[in-house]
Amino acid sequence: MNTDVDKLVTQIRQGSRIGLSRSITLLESTRADHRKKSEELLSILLPETGKAIRIAISGPPGVGKSSFIEALGMLLVGQTKKVAVLAIDPSSPITGGSILGDKARMEELSKSDLSFIRPSPSSGVLGGVARHTRETLLLCEAAGFDVILIETVGIGQSEVMAASMTDIFVQLHQPFSGDELQGIKKGVMELADLIVVTKADGDSFTAAEVAKNELERAVMLTRTCEGNIPKVLLTSAHKNTGISEVWTAITSLVEARNDSGSLAQKRREQSRQWLDQEIATELLSLLNSQPRFAEALEATQQRIEASGEHCGRAARALIKSLLAL
Amino acid sequence: MQDNQKGRKAAGPSETQNADLDAWKALATKELRGESLSALNIQSPEGVTIKPLYTKADTAGFAESLPGLAPFTRGPRATMFTHRPWTIRQYAGFSTAEESNAFYRKNLAAGQKGLSIAFDLATHRGYDSDHPRVRGDVGKAGVAIDSVEDMKILFDGIPLNEMSVSMTMNGAVLPIMAFYIVAAEEQGVALHQLSGTIQNDILKEYMVRNTYIYPPEPSMRIVGDIIEYSTKNMPKFNSISISGYHMQEAGADSALELAYTIADGLEYVKTALARGLDVDDFAPRLSFFFAVGMNFYMEIAKLRAARFLWNDVMQAFNPKNPQSSMLRTHCQTSGYSLTEKDPYNNVVRTTIEAMAAVFGGTQSLHTNSLDEAISLPSESAARIARNTQLIIQEETDICQTVDPFGGSYFMESLTADLVTKARSIMKEVQELGGMVHAINKGIPKLRIEESAAKKQARVDSGKDVIIGVNKYKNSSGTDSVEIRDVDNSAVRESQISRLNDVKKRRNSQAVTTALSALNIAASSGKGNLLELSVIAARHRATLGEISEALAESFGRHKAKVQSISSVYASAFGGPNMIESIRLRATEFAKKSGRRPRILVCKLGQDGHDRGAKVIATGLADLGFDVDIGPMFQTPEEAAKEAVENDVHVVGVSSQAAGHKTLVPDLIAALKKLGGEHIRIVIGGIIPSQDYEFLKKAGCSAIFGPGTPIPECAETILSFLEGKVS
Repeated sequence: MNTDVDKLVTQIRQGSRIGLSRSITLLESTRADHRKKSEELLSILLPETGKAIRIAISGPPGVGKSSFIEALGMLLVGQTKKVAVLAIDPSSPITGGSILGDKARMEELSKSDLSFIRPSPSSGVLGGVARHTRETLLLCEAAGFDVILIETVGIGQSEVMAASMTDIFVQLHQPFSGDELQGIKKGVMELADLIVVTKADGDSFTAAEVAKNELERAVMLTRTCEGNIPKVLLTSAHKNTGISEVWTAITSLVEARNDSGSLAQKRREQSRQWLDQEIATELLSLLNSQPRFAEALEATQQRIEASGEHCGRAARALIKSLLAL
Repeated sequence: MQDNQKGRKAAGPSETQNADLDAWKALATKELRGESLSALNIQSPEGVTIKPLYTKADTAGFAESLPGLAPFTRGPRATMFTHRPWTIRQYAGFSTAEESNAFYRKNLAAGQKGLSIAFDLATHRGYDSDHPRVRGDVGKAGVAIDSVEDMKILFDGIPLNEMSVSMTMNGAVLPIMAFYIVAAEEQGVALHQLSGTIQNDILKEYMVRNTYIYPPEPSMRIVGDIIEYSTKNMPKFNSISISGYHMQEAGADSALELAYTIADGLEYVKTALARGLDVDDFAPRLSFFFAVGMNFYMEIAKLRAARFLWNDVMQAFNPKNPQSSMLRTHCQTSGYSLTEKDPYNNVVRTTIEAMAAVFGGTQSLHTNSLDEAISLPSESAARIARNTQLIIQEETDICQTVDPFGGSYFMESLTADLVTKARSIMKEVQELGGMVHAINKGIPKLRIEESAAKKQARVDSGKDVIIGVNKYKNSSGTDSVEIRDVDNSAVRESQISRLNDVKKRRNSQAVTTALSALNIAASSGKGNLLELSVIAARHRATLGEISEALAESFGRHKAKVQSISSVYASAFGGPNMIESIRLRATEFAKKSGRRPRILVCKLGQDGHDRGAKVIATGLADLGFDVDIGPMFQTPEEAAKEAVENDVHVVGVSSQAAGHKTLVPDLIAALKKLGGEHIRIVIGGIIPSQDYEFLKKAGCSAIFGPGTPIPECAETILSFLEGKVS
């Protein structure tokens, strides 16, 4: 593969599609030499990042994430904004393989010259999904994208991950009849900057309105001590309604937070989180690179099984002995 | 056995039977040299256990019936083929209207009884031949029809008041019906004289064939309008052909095919009733269409079970006319069962399938040509296919008695088993709120794809035997067959020049008025769309214009692409080969930094996506990262996706002969985006004559029909491994 960093930098600056996509491959690679090159590449481009609006789109399977992103994306490319969509598809733990069908579900947006959609498999990424998604986001910014949408499957950890690298967190909800609210996780509601009820059309319009009212009550209850109460909006990707209202809500939130300085503050905190994560990752790989590690690990494991030693204590002892702390 | 019973007066009949059965079991076990008898039980893909022996006990509760009388299990007519054989109806069409017309006339002279028109994919999807999205599709898998003028040429010298015409059209059904009606008018034939069938079965398109244009709800209105119009004006014309054929071709087992077809039928009946039509006015003109594959007994049982089930479900609507609940069907032998390797074996396969259709009691039949796994039928292959039916009808004694399998312990038991299986699938549909809702949720499509992946795994692992493909391979190379090749750019040019001519000579004001009337009717929900299409057709509005006038209000349907995983590997069984490929994929990932990544795409208007889906799930199960493209991509769109996702390989699945245009276009588009390092493989229906051309154009590998997925994976890995430095 092409690992000429200077060439990739030039290509990305020129907005070349292939340059961006090959660079993403480089930073997703599990090979240590690729990792080095991608760090080199990012170091050069970092000063050119930070200009896009970063948005996480989250919701349970079947809620209509792809349709919503397609509708929002089409609105934005219609305003000649460049839109990048990053999606993570789960890999099978057994076969390692994965099926990446996001583009098939964003048919119109994928055709646009102003869009860049990159689905990534979740497995086999050095440093985990969080690292490569964050870095991909930065590359897209350097390549001149105005809006970056990160699609996440609504399952616990991945939402927290997406929230840790975006400016705005949009939580999608299905229409419902009213009594399902207990099932909505409190923690996730607290991440949301904006709540969107999808499929507000045809037969399900009433259920969508009910959902909106219930969600509005719920956010009031969970956000008693904080000023930012997320708006709840109705949309239909099918009828293309409510989408521009969502965009207006996003931009006014961004503006307000820019004015108050809270956005800059948020990004600083996120950057700190990134550093924390990198330290954890590096420590682990440092351990792994110790020749004696595998041996010591095996011995510790046997000791735990034989004597029932506490795992935490055993781990601490192991690290101490290896790193000579 | 009866003689035996007479001989032993002391024992009651059932006791005797048991004693005899015990003797048989003892004897059979002896023949098996101690192995358990149950080892001979076969589990069919439908989940029916097929036993080595059936006896009267297996038909307990079986109700006798007679042909021509409800529930029609034994056939819709009292005399069946003893009086008049089924109609030999060969499906054909290619290139221009002139060429197809000449082909039809030759066939009719050689003993064919009815016409069955195949349209090209551009026509199916509502595009005129000059549309940029259909560059590779014009005239390829059927005849190109853009306006009434083409339709008139298609039926030139064929009197439409005498000839029954079947038309396979679902997406652009309005302009095609309108062109047919106007072509008849201009031949001087009255509407009520027209006989034949329009497929008009849109529901299955969303499940398997994908030649839809509009979303399900407006499409169901079109179906309703056509049923209403033909009920009032065309009493001899079948307004719909409810089709299971394409489901089986897409990999459905016989129970799924049966259940979803009957469930689709129910949905159409409800649609017609909602128009205020009387059930007895339209139901006798509903016809069916089933596939007949290689499971001989199962397919006979399927046709018998279908008639029983349809009669049963129709009782809910209180028909007075027995014909309203009598299922009449067309059958076609299975294209899926044909192979590219050892193609002359296909004649034998088709013969066996044709016999199953005949024993099942079909009303008309298409027998596939031996070359249909690789191309459009050549003239000599078409002749053999037609003769297959003529031989059964005229050389054998097969037609001398009605329903020869009636009363067979095995057949009656199998028929009853299939009815039970189908009912449980239909129950699931009902619980989802009927077929439209089930389709919107994507359930039937997933069930069929699951069945297809299992079938592929059984073939790839050798559990299902295909002679010449996975067993007894012909070592002396492939017999080559003569191929019909259509020069689609020449067809396209001639179509475009006729289109321009039509547009020049027509009254454009009248066309605009007729199209806007259609558009208004589409958005207001008022007026019969077929009636308005006929007016537009008279003024020479084109197929593309009529389709677009409706699309402006209805929108175009976008397929929801869903996929399944790990079905393939689990049905494959013997893990050795799978495991070794997974290891290779993992090893590749270690060396190159990521897993082998492939974009599986379909180009042009070809909607047959079973192959693409099965390959996608199979390769993912073998450890590949697989991107799936949207349906109906242009080569440029596929290239953009391949470059953005930075795949190693693009796999093109081609079923409709557009590859000679589309693949070179794809390669050029990749180059333009800087993706010339991305390799291309192609699979599907590709005649060996095209291999050289495709390799020269830049394809790294070509996988003919029936290539096992592990073999595809190994080939791809081999050239990718060669590239890793």
